[in-house]
Amino acid sequence: MTRRRGPRTLRGRATLALTGVAAVLTAVMALGVWLYATDYLLQTRQNVTLAQAAANGAQVQRGLATPGLSPAQLLAQLPRETGSVSLLADDGEWSTTSLRIGRDDLPRALRTEVLAGDPSRQRIVVDGRPYLAIGVPLAGLDDAYFEVFPLTELDSTYRVLSTILVLGVLTVVPVAAAIGWWVTRPALRPLDRISAAAAAIAAGNLTARIDPREDPTLVPIAESFNATAAALERRVRTDARFASDVSHELRSPLTTMLNAMALIEDHADDLPEDGREGLALLGAEVRRFERLVADLLEISRADAGSGDLVLERVRLAALVHEAMARRELDGRAGVPLRVASGADDVVVRADKRRLERVVGNLVENADNHGGGLTAVAVERSGDIARVIVDDRGTGVPEAERAAVFERFARGSGSARTASEGSGLGLALVTRHLQLMGGSVDVTDNPGGGARFVVRLPVDPEIRRPG
Amino acid sequence: MTRSVLIIEDDVRIRRIVAMTLRREGLEVTEAASGQEGLDQLEERPHDMVLLDLMLPDRDGFEVCREIRRRSDTPIIMITARTDSHDVVAGLEAGADDYVTKPFVAKELSARIRALARRSRGDQVRPRIQIEDLEIAPQDGVVTRDGAVVPLTRTEFKLLSELAAERGRVVSREELLERVWGYDYFGDSRLVDVHVRRLRKKIESDPSAPTVVTTVRGMGYRLPE
Repeated sequence: MTRRRGPRTLRGRATLALTGVAAVLTAVMALGVWLYATDYLLQTRQNVTLAQAAANGAQVQRGLATPGLSPAQLLAQLPRETGSVSLLADDGEWSTTSLRIGRDDLPRALRTEVLAGDPSRQRIVVDGRPYLAIGVPLAGLDDAYFEVFPLTELDSTYRVLSTILVLGVLTVVPVAAAIGWWVTRPALRPLDRISAAAAAIAAGNLTARIDPREDPTLVPIAESFNATAAALERRVRTDARFASDVSHELRSPLTTMLNAMALIEDHADDLPEDGREGLALLGAEVRRFERLVADLLEISRADAGSGDLVLERVRLAALVHEAMARRELDGRAGVPLRVASGADDVVVRADKRRLERVVGNLVENADNHGGGLTAVAVERSGDIARVIVDDRGTGVPEAERAAVFERFARGSGSARTASEGSGLGLALVTRHLQLMGGSVDVTDNPGGGARFVVRLPVDPEIRRPG
Repeated sequence: MTRSVLIIEDDVRIRRIVAMTLRREGLEVTEAASGQEGLDQLEERPHDMVLLDLMLPDRDGFEVCREIRRRSDTPIIMITARTDSHDVVAGLEAGADDYVTKPFVAKELSARIRALARRSRGDQVRPRIQIEDLEIAPQDGVVTRDGAVVPLTRTEFKLLSELAAERGRVVSREELLERVWGYDYFGDSRLVDVHVRRLRKKIESDPSAPTVVTTVRGMGYRLPE
């Protein structure tokens, strides 16, 4: 696929197009003005100079008929505008009123033509200055009158004009670009709205819609967008409700199973060896099943929306501390909990029950799949509070890091046989944190195992200065 | 002394296994398959505790809960199918004292049943306390306002007397969950909050601006010195 050159945004392209059209139009206009104005000025100048030269030619003709006047005297008497030079060819003898411009400055073709009896004119350049040379044939053989008019003034007028025109074109380009950028903003605002709605849906807000009343031009696209979004929402909700219904239906039999299991376990001593082993296996599976149903229900509820989200101020370090205490009550050996200075009283805005699940699931994941929990830390940097959970496993390979947070993900390193999890633990962590404005990711810890890092925004109400 | 428990649950398998388990735990259990049957059983003889499923075929569980509450102050643990806020809170508002979510292990429930069923009235050696126009008499198990008895459930009374025993000091939700409900750790703090709300409706002169049971934000509840 070839890469498109130039700006990639619609707004950029629209602005560029507008600027291009404006530049071409102004350039064409400027060129037209230039051609017309220069032509007009030159024409006017030529008319004036032709009349002058003709009049002076006639006077020279008369003067030549008058004896006693030298050609130099004759030329000196002629009325001339400043800077113009008169030349006279009298029987092949040349006279001039200027030291700088003489016979040789006139082009041979012009001289020949005029001496042959045809009036003629030509633009010439002497010492780098522009002139208009006009030749008027006189009555005698090889007699002719030439007058050379300076065009310097006209030239500087041209220069001013061209400067103005070029500057005009150059000004129009950025102005057109700015106007284009400014004008396309409201024109493209509907697109902003659509992209905002699409982004909201992608971020999990399935109820995001475009209000077509805001802009009549939006109506067709808004309608189809909203229809698509509604279909998507229905679909997601149906799926979520199905998962939720299934887990609900499983709750009653599960209650019977769990209690019957507990009852039989009380009588385990009365069973033969293999009966006890079978019971132990059954017990483990029933509990795993319980866990699966609970997690499935929880994740389907999270999928259905954040309806029961209860955000309150939670002291993060205390919550993590309690989670660790609970873990020890379950018979696990204690691990160090490091609370960084300044993080001991950090308060986050979170759903306490969900945050407990987040920390609990990560700790459990470390114990069950990460070869054992080694350390937990609570830290804070700026507006972000972090909970760090380290384990002593083999870590999570770079390529699997995103996948471990997916539902029913089984990492290559996880001890499948020892697994008691539902396969939803880390997916729930992600989902819960999403609802609370937080995030989680996994890296390596210095000891070689995996390190899960939870990030949550610090509650702004009690943010301490600095 | 043997505590008697009435279990109202339409799912026969759950009812049977829970009853068996609780009997093994030393409780006396009566079974009822419907709301009406449960109410009839209660009419016949009082129980120390009711385990009530909210999803019943004949009558709405919340309604049964209110009906029981109208007739007696017997502690009620409701059995819910979900943990959604509105279900739990609605049940507590209807007069339930505690709740348990399916699937639950009945064996783990017995400690809570004992805590709630414990006769708090008359078995405490705590002094009488006067707060504003309220008089709390733990030994008699009654609260009076200007001489008239304020009708509190056992749990409400226990909550009030636990706070009264520590008057002037803030008592956290966790402490209250442990002392009143028998949770050794980690109960649902909504239990405390809804009960405090119920208590305030009965004892405060203006429940929206409480002066007896005051909230200390982020810490717990307190009775004035």
